[in-house]
Amino acid sequence: MSTPLQVYEPFRAGLPKLGKYWKSLWFRRTFISEYSKSELREQHFDSVFGQLWLVLNPLLLSGVYFILIVIIGGTTDSSRYVHLTATLFLFYLVANSLTGGVKSITAGQRLILNTAFPRIMLPISAVVIAIFKFLPTLIVFLIIKVIVGSSFSFEMLWAIPVLMITIFLALGLAITISCINVYFRDIASFLPYLTRTLLYLSPILYEASALNPNLKALQVINPLFPILDSWSHALVHGEVPQTSSMLQGLAWATGIFFIGTYFFLSREREFAVRL
Amino acid sequence: MSSLSASSIHKTNELAVSIRNVGLTYTTAIDRRPTLKARVKALGRGGKQTRVVRALDDVSLDVEYGQVLGVIGTNGAGKSSLMRCVAGILPPSQGRIEVYGSVSTLLALGVGFNPSMSGRDNVYLGGLAAGMSREEIEKHFDEIADFSELGDAIDAPMRTYSSGMYARLAFSVAATVRPDILIIDEALSTGDAKFKEKSLNRVKELRSDDRALILVSHAMQTLRDTCNDVAWLHKGKLIQRGEPNQVIDAYQEFLHLGKSAAIDEDF
Repeated sequence: MSTPLQVYEPFRAGLPKLGKYWKSLWFRRTFISEYSKSELREQHFDSVFGQLWLVLNPLLLSGVYFILIVIIGGTTDSSRYVHLTATLFLFYLVANSLTGGVKSITAGQRLILNTAFPRIMLPISAVVIAIFKFLPTLIVFLIIKVIVGSSFSFEMLWAIPVLMITIFLALGLAITISCINVYFRDIASFLPYLTRTLLYLSPILYEASALNPNLKALQVINPLFPILDSWSHALVHGEVPQTSSMLQGLAWATGIFFIGTYFFLSREREFAVRL
Repeated sequence: MSSLSASSIHKTNELAVSIRNVGLTYTTAIDRRPTLKARVKALGRGGKQTRVVRALDDVSLDVEYGQVLGVIGTNGAGKSSLMRCVAGILPPSQGRIEVYGSVSTLLALGVGFNPSMSGRDNVYLGGLAAGMSREEIEKHFDEIADFSELGDAIDAPMRTYSSGMYARLAFSVAATVRPDILIIDEALSTGDAKFKEKSLNRVKELRSDDRALILVSHAMQTLRDTCNDVAWLHKGKLIQRGEPNQVIDAYQEFLHLGKSAAIDEDF
């Protein structure tokens, strides 16, 4: 008699066997990419105008916020605009991961009720979609940088590790919020307020160095603060980002990722009952 | 959740699935959507607004390789819940389920399909969702397309399909998966009479000594023809299991009379 391949016993909050879980997740990597592509296609991002909108939307947004900066701050400095676009586009990578991730489990109800697969796939593909949406804006940013006449340097390559940290953080946030949304469905309605608050708390409409010293606490409680600051340092100013900022961002990302993933994995077997 | 291609050769009468004293209770919220707002409002009242549903009650069942098990019962008898437990989708509340092989489920048609994409893309999407690899799907693509009889329509978006065409493609994809244990829930009654016959033949082809099939159906004649074993569930309990004609006759008598000797013993 061979040993059973799978044993199903009553649900207990606890982690599944991680090696096995990872293996089955890796086995389904093609499905993650196909699933993400089909979602993108559903939102018409495979057509010319769809892709144009993907670029136009953040461009218009950055225009609107620039008007805000000009009116409130009184600056018309072009480097401010470069800073604004760079950070805003990266911010939208995180914001899109959150808005896509929050409903990923509840929207995948049919899939969850009828097939057995690692559920974490769904928030992961929400992040993959956000990355697909982010990449064209990165090109737009580089074009803006050329037009404005801002200089290019090798230090800009520091943006790559910063982007990695951002994706890691986005993954952690998407996994966490998708899990919370199974238990509290109205989280999705709170999300716009959350992202809006995060936008204003982050050094996007202002530079990190310009923050009032009395408000330094904001810097500590916002995971995006050190990341966006490093991003701006590398891409906009062509400087090596502060090691402390990068480490702080990495610490936030790691913390959120592991806590969120722990909750997700220990509860995902119960999702089918909750939907 | 591992690869679905038959992992090893299984001998006839070797155990495929062992279900031991499985019980399943759902605690469903009375509020349809659990929300933070509702939770906060309920704080003052104390106690959660829930209803407990007993879907399965002490079910024990063994399925061996080479067996084709039919599962019958009225609506709400717990058939689908049992299938979901075996597939690992729902964790049981009591008991233990052991599965000795790779499981593929055909619980609903077109899972993972995206209507805005073409039939061709959905073959890949659905196949990947069912656990096949891209290479496997590529290898079987022509077979799937032929079986679905869609012709050129395979390149049209699926939202332009009739429900019969949709079901035909979905069944064709699902029938290509070759797992050790295949669970089919009500998915046989798709398409027109001709396609129904064709899909039934496909299921009969899938019967083999090294595979276990579990069919959930209300089509009694189909079950009499295909199965070599039938289990009858009623209100989450296993009422009777055995030779197809015998069990189905008892079940049909019960449906007719609304009562049965077998059930009377239990209640």
